[in-house]
Amino acid sequence: MKNLFLLILMIISVNVFSQEDKDGNFKLKVKGFADTYHAFRYEKPNDWMSSRSRLRTEFSLSHSNTEVFFSSNAVYNSLISSYSGFKIRELYICQSFSNFELRVGRQIITWGVADALRLADIISPMDYSEFLAQDYDDIRIPETAIRLKFSKNAFSFDILAIPVIETFELPFQKDNPWAISLTANDSIIKAKKPDFKIENSEFGGRFSWFLSGMDFSVCALRTFNKMPVFALNFDPIKQQLIGKEHFSRMTMIGSDISIPVSKFVIRGELAIYFNEAQQPNLNAEIYNKNSINTLLGVDIYPGGDWNLSFQYSHKRINGINNMINAYRNSGTATVRVSKELFRNTLNINTFAYIDVTSGGIYDRTSFDYALNDIVHISLGFDYFKADQGIFKLYDKNSEIWIKIKASF
Amino acid sequence: MKKAFLTLAAILTAFSLNAQNLSGRDIIKKVKDNPNGETRYAKLDLVLEKSNGSKRERKVESWAMDIGEDTKTMMFFTYPGDVKGTGFLTWNYDEIGKDDDKWLYMPALKKTRRISGSSSKTDYFMGTDFTYDDMGDRNVDEDEHKLLREENLEGFDCYVVESVPKDKREIYSKKISWIRKDCFMGIKVEFYDKLGKLHRVLNVSDIKKIQGYWTRSKMVMENVQTKHKTILTFSDMKYDLKIDQEMFNVTKLEKGL
Repeated sequence: MKNLFLLILMIISVNVFSQEDKDGNFKLKVKGFADTYHAFRYEKPNDWMSSRSRLRTEFSLSHSNTEVFFSSNAVYNSLISSYSGFKIRELYICQSFSNFELRVGRQIITWGVADALRLADIISPMDYSEFLAQDYDDIRIPETAIRLKFSKNAFSFDILAIPVIETFELPFQKDNPWAISLTANDSIIKAKKPDFKIENSEFGGRFSWFLSGMDFSVCALRTFNKMPVFALNFDPIKQQLIGKEHFSRMTMIGSDISIPVSKFVIRGELAIYFNEAQQPNLNAEIYNKNSINTLLGVDIYPGGDWNLSFQYSHKRINGINNMINAYRNSGTATVRVSKELFRNTLNINTFAYIDVTSGGIYDRTSFDYALNDIVHISLGFDYFKADQGIFKLYDKNSEIWIKIKASF
Repeated sequence: MKKAFLTLAAILTAFSLNAQNLSGRDIIKKVKDNPNGETRYAKLDLVLEKSNGSKRERKVESWAMDIGEDTKTMMFFTYPGDVKGTGFLTWNYDEIGKDDDKWLYMPALKKTRRISGSSSKTDYFMGTDFTYDDMGDRNVDEDEHKLLREENLEGFDCYVVESVPKDKREIYSKKISWIRKDCFMGIKVEFYDKLGKLHRVLNVSDIKKIQGYWTRSKMVMENVQTKHKTILTFSDMKYDLKIDQEMFNVTKLEKGL
């Protein structure tokens, strides 16, 4: 399998340098940014929550119908040294022929129409090293995939295979203020990723129509739960809670739709998960159940450079039992309000996740000012409030942050 | 012989049109119907200038194709870096009351978002002094047109036409356009606000023929109330490119420049 993958990459790479270019030239595009981000806790002890600087570079080298794309992050994290270093973000080669496009390599794959919620969009996993307190475009983890796309007029068909899956990046380091900690004394055993075998590969496809007055897609994916569930056991000798990561096979079929109506865009998404692993209670075994995930959203464009967006997502787990640590029905809502001021030099944006089931909220509000064409300075506040649920984990993590970003 | 006859017929038709009395609507219709090729490409440089002289810049590459009375446009930002690669795909419909279809591609998110086709017409385009409506292709019958007078402006004989929008939600109460008689190109437009005060003035210069088509190379839109202005310069313009409708779909938008 691995050899086959390398062979495909090699064939395409050879093709790049053997073709006649229409213009006789290679085309190189470079872009990226340097940013520095610092956050401190709003409440006592007002300690640093994050302090990192980064250089992102993106190169695209194209020749005739072939493109090689490379993006990387060079990061210095002064709080958590293990997050410092150089990382390749995306590296893929793309070959277009007639109505087809073949893309092979490490790439970010986005499906669905939901905004910052994952229903059908479950291919690229998430980097939760700072939970959701990062820009959403930084959170996605690329997958190494072979992807073939066919498009004709307003129709496109995307099929993909991912030989080795990536999983969520979760913060377990105790020196990370965003570390997941269930008790004062717990230990996490990380699971081994599925082996590099055909039967462990991820594969799927998506049909999309982009029509006058409506976008519509249907998709199917044979995948894993990339956000692990944890088998929880208590070790009476060490007096310690042991959490063991677990990933298992699941299948998703989904559909999404976007309909613009005057100043509104209505968005809907449906994703049915078959055999989704469920988080068990303490000392319970892991059950796989089917779940139905639905989303309804509306974007409002009232004019005057205002932009509003509301979403409600509902999850229903079928056949739930008392071994499963989840509600049969649960809901999450999001609210976004954005306004451009002073001829697009100042953007005020607030985005809130609302845990409808447990009553918690996480809101990220930012003021982004363009000092000039290159440099932006942003000031923001992340607010957590919860008595239970996922946001309870971070109810002491409300923070004030500043970011300076220079783009090129 | 047949060719000579057709040429003579065309000359006589043109003479007849010039000789007859044109209404305000006729003039604006002729401006809209000015031949500009079935397909077009241009690089746009937008300089935003404050009254204190400070400047910001936006650069865009744009492709357009006419399909009957409708137009499909693909546009990508190339500068500044924070919006570089951001793309807009628009299917602009001439039919009054039919909303455009619009998609926005955000390269940082690797995601295309369907956006409202009706909302942004009265908003300003990326902080410039041009509204989305100014940048688009407005149906002639969205306004009532009246020929006010004929006069010479900057050495050109012009028709002066007043256009009042039928939809009272438009951001201007009327506009007055100076249209060159020789090529039916607008060289000046005054936009009046809801109180009837002069709000913005558009000056068009450097009009020349490219590939046989009359082409505007520079447009300066000034908000006379705030003294903010936007200088829009077109370069590398090409007409009748060999591109087909496949260029104007979401797959190509996601592919980028």
